[in-house]
Amino acid sequence: MSRDFWSESRLAVLGGGSFVTVLANLAARNCSEVTLYVRAEDQARAMNSTRMNPNYVKNLVLDSKIRAVSSYEKVFERPQDLVIFALPSQATREQAKLVAPLLGGSEIVLHATKGIEEHSLKRISQVLGEELPVLRIGAISGPNLAGEIANGEPAATVVASRFDEVVEAGERVLSTEQFRVYKTADLIGVEWGGTLKNIFAIASGMLESKGYGWNTKSLMLSRGLAEMVRFGVAMGAAPETFLGLSGMGDLIATCSSSQSRNFRVGYHLAKGEKLEEVLAELGQVAEGVRTTRIVHEFARSREVEMPITEVIYQIIEGKWSVEQGLAHLMTRPQVEDAWG
Amino acid sequence: MRTDPRTGSNPAIRFEHHPAIRGEIYRLDERAYRESIIEEVIGRTLADFSKADPRMLLEETLYQERSRTRKARASWLTSPYLAARTGRDRKFLDEIRGRMKSCVGLEDHRELILRFSRHFASEICGNFEPRMYDLAIRMVPWMFSWLLNAASLQRILPFGMSESLQSRLRVVGEVEHLQRLSKKGTILLVPTHLSNIDSLLVGYVIHLMSLPPFAYGAGLNLFSNPLLGFSMSRLGAYTVDRQKSSILYKSALKNYSTSILKRGIHSIFFPAGGRVRSGAIESHLKLGLLGTALQAQLERYREAHPNPDIFVVPMVMNYPFVFEASSLIEDYLASSGKHRFMPNDGGEAVPFLNILRFFWKLFSTRSEMWVRVGRPLDVFGNFVDEEGRSIGPNGTCIDPRRFFTTRGEITAVPQRDREYTMQLGRRISERYHAENVVLSSHLVAYSLFSALRKQYPALDLYRFLTLSRAQRAIPEARFYEEAEACFRMVRDAAGQGRLFLSNALLCGDVRIWVEDGVRQLGLFHDAKVVKVEDGAFSTEDMSLLYYYRNRLTGYGFGSDFAGETDEQGFLV
Repeated sequence: MSRDFWSESRLAVLGGGSFVTVLANLAARNCSEVTLYVRAEDQARAMNSTRMNPNYVKNLVLDSKIRAVSSYEKVFERPQDLVIFALPSQATREQAKLVAPLLGGSEIVLHATKGIEEHSLKRISQVLGEELPVLRIGAISGPNLAGEIANGEPAATVVASRFDEVVEAGERVLSTEQFRVYKTADLIGVEWGGTLKNIFAIASGMLESKGYGWNTKSLMLSRGLAEMVRFGVAMGAAPETFLGLSGMGDLIATCSSSQSRNFRVGYHLAKGEKLEEVLAELGQVAEGVRTTRIVHEFARSREVEMPITEVIYQIIEGKWSVEQGLAHLMTRPQVEDAWG
Repeated sequence: MRTDPRTGSNPAIRFEHHPAIRGEIYRLDERAYRESIIEEVIGRTLADFSKADPRMLLEETLYQERSRTRKARASWLTSPYLAARTGRDRKFLDEIRGRMKSCVGLEDHRELILRFSRHFASEICGNFEPRMYDLAIRMVPWMFSWLLNAASLQRILPFGMSESLQSRLRVVGEVEHLQRLSKKGTILLVPTHLSNIDSLLVGYVIHLMSLPPFAYGAGLNLFSNPLLGFSMSRLGAYTVDRQKSSILYKSALKNYSTSILKRGIHSIFFPAGGRVRSGAIESHLKLGLLGTALQAQLERYREAHPNPDIFVVPMVMNYPFVFEASSLIEDYLASSGKHRFMPNDGGEAVPFLNILRFFWKLFSTRSEMWVRVGRPLDVFGNFVDEEGRSIGPNGTCIDPRRFFTTRGEITAVPQRDREYTMQLGRRISERYHAENVVLSSHLVAYSLFSALRKQYPALDLYRFLTLSRAQRAIPEARFYEEAEACFRMVRDAAGQGRLFLSNALLCGDVRIWVEDGVRQLGLFHDAKVVKVEDGAFSTEDMSLLYYYRNRLTGYGFGSDFAGETDEQGFLV
């Protein structure tokens, strides 16, 4: 019965980034219809005619069930069963306001945004909950480099929600023989995991840029994970969540991949380039820079100890060099390993 | 600054009185109707345990019930009602125990579970006698006005002016909205719970708002007063025995609530489960009964009732003083401090004299009770407009049926519904804070406590509460400085819609509201909660000061952990 429901369901994906394009393609195998919202009309048209997403994943041929549109009205012309938001964190609220009147209330909403709302420090699921007339909300997060999934390499993600049925929907719609879906109820931990790791992706890029080896990188990753746990727990997350795919898993993937935007920001900053130049050159959103500022400010006010984040913050702000930062970290008083 | 336009000098005429319509509750007078409820409750309860091992369930229930009756200490002299009840329970349990020995198979066990469920369901089920109700609504105001005017003799009233309870009772907020909605659906009123006075007051306020009578889950201790017990059991009150801890009983209780809500009987319950020990606004609510609203709503939608909606209406009650304050805060401190003794939860009989004394004190001085009817919600915590439509976060009307839709149908999903209930609980608590009317007495206690704490920042709560008399004094100038700071804090919060201010505070003059607050706090308790002497403010009872001050916690004033206790054990 339930299997039938999801195989005949309709899915809307809002956002045309590389990861969600891949997600849409996965989901197309498991449901009857996928509508992909992209902002630019010509992009939508190009996708529908060439069956490719020209801006992001060039090697992916879009499934025939996917239809790209460029207005929310068209997306919700027919009621949708599952809606996946994958917009930049700072655009989510404003876009959600536009989508809200089009939703009925029975939809299940997932988001794949790794970031938080500036100033309010709200997680994306909270923002969506405040704006949408929908109660069943969850998040997708994990080590998901779009290119690899598009190539059909084995991979997995986490679907998190307080509602079992949201998690179940995510599993039914997204899993394939090469893509596994893990579940958790710790939405807070999963969303913060996906957000916080971006800070350490910057750090990783810096270390790479300086030519350091795996000892140094592992040191940064382990101590970075400890910072993620401390911060996450302060926000109400369960510590063990950070050992999972959305914490440790995502941290390793993001920090090892030279493709990640945050990694590249760190790489160029360590070369002595100015932040503005680096960002201008990248031409894409690097959530990590914003995250570092927000998290640093909050950690300081709540007295959560996050020395690596502190150093990254100082480097981003142009106050310290990478060498100064490393010296600061290496000469700190001795503490317990693990979460100490 | 905001003033409530309806708050005139005579609060009784602030909202229209309509002849109350007879609600569904009048049908409780019919024996057959009551029987059908009991049967429904039994059916639901058995269904709840259809997958359980009947033998285990039976043994567990019998064990818990027997140890409860063994511990019960109700004496025939002090509380004949409770004693008679325990006697009946013992007889029933002995019989079940005897029958259990001759049980052969699971069917026999099931039969005994059925008897248990019937025993519980009939005990819970309330009655309603219209004649009794008519009598009560005439008697109670008359009694109150007699008491009030007798008490008022202490003050000099102009010739020909008499007072009624209504003049001491400020009922503000969404009264008309509630009146309208009571005709469009079923109301579940969820008041805050500070004092045993609440139960009496709520009943009276409902009558005052010309609403039909409500069903109400009353603790056994209220029934133990012969007069109260006699009338309440005939006014739609159903019995809640908090000493009964077996899952079978709890399930029967919830099912009773679901059954009457589903039938459209307006109900009241105190979602905190009991009086708030700390004096704060409830931050954590008991979700068991609250979940019955959701369940009943789901069933009404599925059965396509003409007026299916259930409206959840938070209500906040505030008094200048609470007669049980001392014992409540002591209970709270004992359990939060994890030393001395375990509190005895609600077992004590209602000291009727204390209730009289409370009203006497209230009436013999210029004190007011505040009842604020909050904005009505649907069972998911969305605001509801005048027509009973749910308003979504984006300000447009939404159909709450859609939240019950899973895989295309309106259906019960236990895990989902538990989560919804938790959200509703959080939402009600949030609304309680927003609908709270801050009285001058709260703010005076808050200011003095805060000034004292600044003097001894290193002490934890339990050390702090044992400060010596001499250490508890704050020079007048320093107190007023703190009071002004605290006032600015609540005024700003009121401006942001996070709480309301009482009239005494709305005047804004620190001297006036401090004087008023000090006086109110001094009216009831033997110890002076706030004492002004020789140019200094002090307290004779730190625990009571803490109690009254706690009413302003849960707002995040000066802390990020609203509603929790900080590292030093202080409620923030």
